[in-house]
Amino acid sequence: MAAMRRIGCLLAREEAFPIEEAKQRALLEVALAHSPRVESVGAGLAYLDVTGLRGLFGEEPEIGQRLCRAAADRGLAVRVGIAGSRASAIFAARWGDGVAIVPPGDEAAYLAPAPCSLLDLSPEMARLLDRWGIRTLGELARLPAAALFERLGADGPRLQALARGEDPRPLSPWAPPRVLEERVEGDWTMDTIEPLIALLADLAGRVCARLAREGLSGDAFEWSCRLGDGTSHDGRFVPAVPTADSGVVGLLLRAAFESRPPQAAVTGIALRAQPVRVPPDQETLTGSSRSSPRALAETLARLAALMGPERIGVPVLLDSHRPDAMRLAPFRLAGSLPPREGRGAGEPSPVGGEGRVRGPVLALCRLRPPRPAKVTLTAGRPVHLRSDLLTGSIVASAGPWRASGEWWCERPFFQDEWDVELEGGALCRLSHDGSAWFLAGIYD
Amino acid sequence: MAIPTESLPPPGRGSTEIDFLLGAFPRGQLSEIVGSWSSGGESLLLALLARATAGGRLAALVDGADAFDPTVAAAAGADLSSLLWVRCGGEITLALRAADLLARCPGFAVVALDLGERVLTRRQPVPPAAWRRLQRAVEGSGAALVLRVPRHVAGAAAALVLEAERGRAHWVGSPRPTRLDGLLSRVRVLRSRAPAPLQAEGVWTLSWQL
Repeated sequence: MAAMRRIGCLLAREEAFPIEEAKQRALLEVALAHSPRVESVGAGLAYLDVTGLRGLFGEEPEIGQRLCRAAADRGLAVRVGIAGSRASAIFAARWGDGVAIVPPGDEAAYLAPAPCSLLDLSPEMARLLDRWGIRTLGELARLPAAALFERLGADGPRLQALARGEDPRPLSPWAPPRVLEERVEGDWTMDTIEPLIALLADLAGRVCARLAREGLSGDAFEWSCRLGDGTSHDGRFVPAVPTADSGVVGLLLRAAFESRPPQAAVTGIALRAQPVRVPPDQETLTGSSRSSPRALAETLARLAALMGPERIGVPVLLDSHRPDAMRLAPFRLAGSLPPREGRGAGEPSPVGGEGRVRGPVLALCRLRPPRPAKVTLTAGRPVHLRSDLLTGSIVASAGPWRASGEWWCERPFFQDEWDVELEGGALCRLSHDGSAWFLAGIYD
Repeated sequence: MAIPTESLPPPGRGSTEIDFLLGAFPRGQLSEIVGSWSSGGESLLLALLARATAGGRLAALVDGADAFDPTVAAAAGADLSSLLWVRCGGEITLALRAADLLARCPGFAVVALDLGERVLTRRQPVPPAAWRRLQRAVEGSGAALVLRVPRHVAGAAAALVLEAERGRAHWVGSPRPTRLDGLLSRVRVLRSRAPAPLQAEGVWTLSWQL
């Protein structure tokens, strides 16, 4: 006779919410410490296969208590349900308090007095069952299946099976993401940046060598420096493309440390890589200037080291009416982008590309920050501009266009904008914030 | 100065000329767009970047003066997620080094180096060797390296030189203008080493809409 399957359910109590990523990971680690087969379902919920754990941890009530204690040690208050199926395990955990054990093969009888609200019914379904006078899982389980199907469709038999604790779905195993780590610790301290960067380059070489040995690439790299004053200096970067190139990783680490050096002497360093498997590039028959992720990652690393990582990226428009509301996001190569063969750089794409390009648009060269200006007004309209970049009589103007908002924030914005044409033909945008004039941009 | 009140050509006119011009920037070569403020040179560069990124290719903009406006680029149809923006904050040396790095990197369809009038001052001239170096850098990558400058500076290193001249602005509203609607600019081919399609001394009139 085959061994009866037993499923455990770890359910975070209400006081543990909101469940952050770290808490969910702690919950999964508790489960994983007791069983090799664990499933992560959602925030505050995990299943584990407890079949055959008796020899290791004792009877099921004892296993449940161990799970509760282990979770409490990680700062999580949980309920535990152990039953023959996922559904009955979670119903038992929800219904009970602390540890609830459903005897093997007795799921339907155990759950019979439980309320129907355990089923996560839609409001309409809950109202319908309430109108029928169905309050408990046992009452739902005892309804005639055919009549239930006629009234509720496929939902009827499904809910009835759940009410009996029948749930044949197997566990979908979860494995913790693998992390490759190299660390250096000793009785030394480093209080200058250059030897620290040399040490980081060495660590990067070791991590990348491990990645390369297994045919993997690093999708993200994290470092943690233990400092002499008892604090730590932690950071993380994500390369434009997964890489196992120690030169690229070393450059990115250098850029990161030069832009944000540790505030005290370093006494130990750990570098971790999050490995991913990257399929090899498919070469084209004729492509000679194909996008090379490695070359791109190296170029971006060099650029970050040259300019500072905060100066390179892709522009992202912010959901705001504030003038020039945008930020820079890290540049990520979404996928291999084979270039289209052709002699002209501006040739339209064969598929769809041209359709998205709108008509010729007049560009505005922004002045960051806007330049202070002196503007002479006549009858409320600007007639003369004086600034360090442009000076002259204004021959045409349109405005003011008021831009204001975010009055509910600490930094509300308010300005009147004018488009003006100078005598020499230069077109520019002026702004007035209520107290002073600025040259905000020049059309080109 | 009299304010012209007649309408500009409707949107769409001039797009053939722009398409033609945008298709003429040679890959693996250095090109120049020259012209002073409000000449339409920046708009031409923006159209080139928009065309490249909207076509699913990568483009890079080395922004010497930190003057790029992503809102306008998005309005022009650029796919901002395919546009690498390098903000140089007016440091011309950094801008040249960044352009050199990007010009050598395979995968970019267009690498633009924007050195506006505030960056390219006569007090800090760029040695001619710098342009030749950029030209050699881009030969291997296959990108179109486009230099936006107020005046022709790259000398013989540039395979294509387009000069943008300020036309007239178009204002809407009478008798007083109520809105700036667009700008006409003339683009002249000063130099073209490519055998076709551009011939030196050709002139195009382009209409840019706000």
